[in-house]
Amino acid sequence: MNYAVIIELLSASIRIATPLLLVALGGVISETGGTFAVGVEGMMLGGAFGGAVTVLVTQNILVGLLASMISGVLLAAIVAVATVRFRTDHMVTGLAVNILALGMTSFLLRGLFGGKTPVMVLPTIGTVRIPWLCNLPVAGPILFNEPLMTYLAFFLVIPVHLFLRRTRAGLTLRAVGENPSAAFSVGANPERIRAVAVMVCGAFAGLGGAVLSLQELGTFTDGMTNGRGFLALAAIIVGRWTPFRVMWGCLLIGAASALALNIQGWGLPMSSYVIQMTPYLIALAVLCGIGRKARMPAAIGKAFLRS
Amino acid sequence: MSASLPTPPEIDRSDQADQSEIPSRVVARNEDADFWRRMLLALLAVSLSFVVAAVPILLSGKNPLLAYWALIRGAFGSVDSIAFALNKSTPYILAGVGVALCFRARVINIGGEGQIAVGGIAASWIALNAPGLPGSVLIPLALLGGGCAGAAWAAIAAGMRLVRGVHEVLGTLLLNFVGLLLVSEVLHGPMGEVGAGFPQSPLFPEQAWLPTLLPGTDLHAGILLALLAVVLCHLVFWHTPFGFRLRLLGSSDAAAAYAGVSVVRSLLSVMLIAGGLAGLAGAVEVLGVHYRLIQGFSGGFGFNAVAIALLASLNPIAVLPAGLFFGFLETGALAMQREIGVPSSLVFVIQGLAMIFVLCALGISLRRQRI
Repeated sequence: MNYAVIIELLSASIRIATPLLLVALGGVISETGGTFAVGVEGMMLGGAFGGAVTVLVTQNILVGLLASMISGVLLAAIVAVATVRFRTDHMVTGLAVNILALGMTSFLLRGLFGGKTPVMVLPTIGTVRIPWLCNLPVAGPILFNEPLMTYLAFFLVIPVHLFLRRTRAGLTLRAVGENPSAAFSVGANPERIRAVAVMVCGAFAGLGGAVLSLQELGTFTDGMTNGRGFLALAAIIVGRWTPFRVMWGCLLIGAASALALNIQGWGLPMSSYVIQMTPYLIALAVLCGIGRKARMPAAIGKAFLRS
Repeated sequence: MSASLPTPPEIDRSDQADQSEIPSRVVARNEDADFWRRMLLALLAVSLSFVVAAVPILLSGKNPLLAYWALIRGAFGSVDSIAFALNKSTPYILAGVGVALCFRARVINIGGEGQIAVGGIAASWIALNAPGLPGSVLIPLALLGGGCAGAAWAAIAAGMRLVRGVHEVLGTLLLNFVGLLLVSEVLHGPMGEVGAGFPQSPLFPEQAWLPTLLPGTDLHAGILLALLAVVLCHLVFWHTPFGFRLRLLGSSDAAAAYAGVSVVRSLLSVMLIAGGLAGLAGAVEVLGVHYRLIQGFSGGFGFNAVAIALLASLNPIAVLPAGLFFGFLETGALAMQREIGVPSSLVFVIQGLAMIFVLCALGISLRRQRI
């Protein structure tokens, strides 16, 4: 393994971690407020679809990104209404939204274009070389020669961290996730806060999906998220619900995926399907390694009852 | 001393017998009423999801009424289509009844997809590697192998939950992807048919095929297995101590702990049962429908099973109509796509909507009980 391969591998890890990171940041917000984010897989798929179709029609990536966020929020609104208003089980509601998103995107992909899947070759979000910094010896090609949304995703870790740790609203959100009754007794509205947190999560997850369809691949295919939302959920647990640690979790899974992609070209006596399993296996192994040390928000998954 | 005791008042024995009977009769009637109320809610949820699913049909520029009419004709139009739908329902019912038991015990097992996949692999391996065995031995052996493989796959997730505290939702979900890739792996490796254009195994020997029930149609004996599984699970759930423990776990943690129900043992056994049934579903699918292992044969089955269990409001016996509904829905949707070009992925739209509506309806009833 030479220098260029390692640089390429690390750079790819960051690129692959980008959609996971956006989804995971949204998931952290939702779960900090006490709502399990199993629906992020569907919100991500919805965002990938909304972004891709909008760009296909308007050829404008900015509008596409906006549309992806709206798609994510719409799906998240279903989760919010069901879990907050009707107090449904978070896990199963999330799963239902995943199925709905899979069906809707697949149906509309054909239905909106006269019954046949349209050929989608979309303009993609390009790589931006940061002047000066990209010429640094090792860090340059790895960190400062990435697509635009990658910079945004990693930058967003900071505001999300500051929001959760340093603002009043963030404190209230955490209180709602830990003890909604206590938050209620000091004047917060746990139901509304949870609903808003879920919808913000939808916007993040939708954007994560758009990264997949508009930055990574430049097209949309049925079920293209292929479990990335669930990998993001694993990263949240690995990162114990704090943005910076979650970022490392995403990078770990990104590195596993990048290695899996690269290894296929090395002619090792391993089948590509076994290699494709590695991100999932690594996520499972890390989850097992963490074990019971992960302490989730105390009131996660529990409905808030005014009494 | 006995003299000082006041003589007990005359008791009208017939009256007492009556009194002690009334509560049990009331309870039975309430449970009955609750069952039918839940079924009605499920029916309403399904109807509502058809209404809402008309919106995307309109968006695609088609007439929803015509689409649904094509769907109904496609599902019930001929003996062949009914046989096809019954075959489709079989794995859904098998996996769905297992999921219902899991959910009742508050174990969110959504790993049906992976469990079905490995069940199919195991059954295929047995069918391909036991030449010369008569069908009466080979078929049960392959079914058993599928069931065991599915149970083992579920046991991995259960073990991770019990030993390392990994939530079973994430464990089963991630294992689904591994299981699906495992099918691709064996088909591109040891079990693949050489020279086939599609990743599939060679055709099984004929004695490994599940017998057909109706001559001239594709209807295979798997539906009888599904029927048996539903009846058995119903009896176990409502009429055995094990079923009682599951019900206790589902209704109240405190009550279950007080009664000494072992959470570990219940979780493990319910996961093994559900995994076994899902594995059996995978075996039935390869032995009864395709007569070979093909890539993606289990597509969406696991999530179907969850939708079905919910629609049955987690009642084992109600999984039967719910599973049949999805089998016929899918058969009809395929015909609808062929005839008037409305994409069959409408099934997933209806499925997701129905799940959400059922969940919301059950949420409301939960709240009413609390007040």
